[in-house]
Amino acid sequence: MITKKALHRRTFLRGMGTAVALPFLDAMAPALASAKNAKPPVRMAFVYVPNGIIMNGWNPDYEGQLGELPRILKPMEPFRQDITLLGNLTHNTGRALLDGAGDHGRCCASYLTGVQPRKSVTDIRAGVSFDQIVANQVGKQTRFPSLELGMEDARQAGDCDSGYSCAYTNNLAWRSESEPLPPILDPRALFERLFGNGVAMTPEARARENFYRRSILDFVSDDTHQLENNLGPTDRRKLDEYLSSIRAVELQIQKAEKDNAQIDPHMDKPYGTPADFAEHFRLMSDMMTIAFQADLTRVITFLVTHEGTSRPYREIDIADGHHPLTHHRNHPDLIEKVTQINSYHVKQFAAWIAKVKAIREGDGSLLDNCMIVYGAGLSDGNRHLHEDLPTLVAGRGGSHFKPGRRIVYRKETPMCNLFLAMMDRMGVHVEHFGDSTGKLDVLDLA
Amino acid sequence: MQFPFTKPSVGILLDSAMRRIDDVLALAMLHAYAGKGEARTAAVGVSSPDLQAAQFCDSMWAFYASATTGTAAMFMHAPPVGLADGKPSAGLAMLREPLARRTADGKPVYPNTIKSVDDTAEVPTLFRNALMAQYDQDAAIVLSGPATNLVQLLDMYGAKDWITRKVRLLCVTGVDIEADAAAAQKLFAGWPTPMVMAGREIGEALPFPGEAIEKDFAWTTADPVADAYRAYRPMPYDAPSWAMAAMLYAVHPNDGYFKLSGSGNPRQLVLDPAQKDRIIQAYVALASAKPVPHKSKHPADDEKKGEKKDEKKDPAPPNGH
Repeated sequence: MITKKALHRRTFLRGMGTAVALPFLDAMAPALASAKNAKPPVRMAFVYVPNGIIMNGWNPDYEGQLGELPRILKPMEPFRQDITLLGNLTHNTGRALLDGAGDHGRCCASYLTGVQPRKSVTDIRAGVSFDQIVANQVGKQTRFPSLELGMEDARQAGDCDSGYSCAYTNNLAWRSESEPLPPILDPRALFERLFGNGVAMTPEARARENFYRRSILDFVSDDTHQLENNLGPTDRRKLDEYLSSIRAVELQIQKAEKDNAQIDPHMDKPYGTPADFAEHFRLMSDMMTIAFQADLTRVITFLVTHEGTSRPYREIDIADGHHPLTHHRNHPDLIEKVTQINSYHVKQFAAWIAKVKAIREGDGSLLDNCMIVYGAGLSDGNRHLHEDLPTLVAGRGGSHFKPGRRIVYRKETPMCNLFLAMMDRMGVHVEHFGDSTGKLDVLDLA
Repeated sequence: MQFPFTKPSVGILLDSAMRRIDDVLALAMLHAYAGKGEARTAAVGVSSPDLQAAQFCDSMWAFYASATTGTAAMFMHAPPVGLADGKPSAGLAMLREPLARRTADGKPVYPNTIKSVDDTAEVPTLFRNALMAQYDQDAAIVLSGPATNLVQLLDMYGAKDWITRKVRLLCVTGVDIEADAAAAQKLFAGWPTPMVMAGREIGEALPFPGEAIEKDFAWTTADPVADAYRAYRPMPYDAPSWAMAAMLYAVHPNDGYFKLSGSGNPRQLVLDPAQKDRIIQAYVALASAKPVPHKSKHPADDEKKGEKKDEKKDPAPPNGH
């Protein structure tokens, strides 16, 4: 029941099989204040791109205040004051360390776990990833402790890199040392997870339901009207924008389903997955926005494409596979193509950041209350280097970080030192993680 | 068909102050051993906070890599140099002058990639990471200078286990270690592997012959070791060889170059007079060795081979959870 007096942060609009969480509304502020938690929560996300990056198109040739950004980062120009570029962070456990070939498998499996994975196709061993340590502690406050998302190939078995299981190249998050959390690839599946009652639907059942209904918003219309009557004009506008964004996502998914059915009813992609990369990215990121906005979760990992992928990018006229291109042997034409792929990825990311920034929350934007890391487990994909990993942090982590800077640490500084600092911001205080040597300094406002 | 597994040559971690010419000569020896396949350069750290020392070490790497050409050169990657924190030390001519030397068109004769401290690594982290990449009991550490870095390594979370597992020997020069007396005391009390000490008398009894600079380095007009030697003191002079003795023993402890005295830890290197000429010849041959081409490969080639590789290795021990 919704009352005028105290709108609880965990209020849902409910209907048959549907539960739509709400964004942070002004009407919630008194309730939150009385719960001595007036500030919006801090959220964190990792957006991982595979096969390294052309680093001279990523690293500025200066430190300190961000000025003109290099070519690959150009799409981030409007958000210069919202991002921090970190230099020289290293994942030693991604290196061979006597295990020979398999840098793609290792770099992905060690990325958030900070441990060297066991080289095996069958006996899978890595470590608990730090996002899951955070999720275990703060996840009880949200509907989902964490969300694991991706856009390509969630195979968990088989050899994906020189003796490393596909479980290593296709997952970022690990619940235990032997249990990765496979990403959700299908926007429809994610949508139903976010707004459904937890029961997965068969394609036939979904088609039947689609025939009879227009939107999940129809199911919650009673609650919506009741809520609107109790809101001020600002909150009403905010709610309307929020519900419209859900409807837009829903329409996009329906369109993808319709298009896919026309293209090939037997395609091996999930049914609601758009064929177009940018469209798929937009759908997934729109739902990430909603998940953060409605405080459905505070921890998201997003494996854009799996590590070592040979996906071509015909959307930008690149028919060659991504991974073979990255072994460019300094051939300028191949370097150019990889640069275009890297830029294309950043462009999608920038579009997401624009949306997160546009959402007002508390005294600032939703982005202010986020730490969204965009990065890769390899820097130079040609030589398979695990140092100076491309690492961009968007957001202020709830007014903790001072963005708009490039900070270069000393060589070999463990990436896990960043994780320690991020855990701190999430309210999870641990002394050591992976191969950390201490919390990353200089990030703070102080 | 199964082939017996053989460990690679010993991985050497050199932690030196780079304040004496024997430190430079020991680093040259290490590169020469690497060229001969008798040792591997696992890590190089500098215990004095002198950026020029790190730059010089980096330029030495470039010098010894200069013989590698073609695809192999494309995939060579300069390892980071470790540098101690602290107030910068006064510059030394033996480092400054080679670094300042220019070609006719104004380029550095001995180029390096280090512009600031950010281009160097903290020594304890560098050494910990390097140890993780060594086979068990297949690494040796040469310490020439204060023990500050190694004590920090010892104190690093989880690092003592790696030292115990990977390091078979720590070779310490007996001069300058007392520059940080507290660290020296802590090192000798807590270091978990066998140690040997190259005392003052060893280095003085086995001087590196100054005449070798003009004779044995004559194959080139641009060798950073020879340039450093000339800049260190007015020529001609012979140089005590503390760090070189430690390096020689670290790589070849069983080749009869030295005897050991005592039964504690550390034990002392003892000179067998019958070995003196042999040792000095080894010094000269190694320090003046020409760069040897490396055989680095394209990672994609490794990937193809790795596809057939058996799963045979035990997992690394946990390192922090």
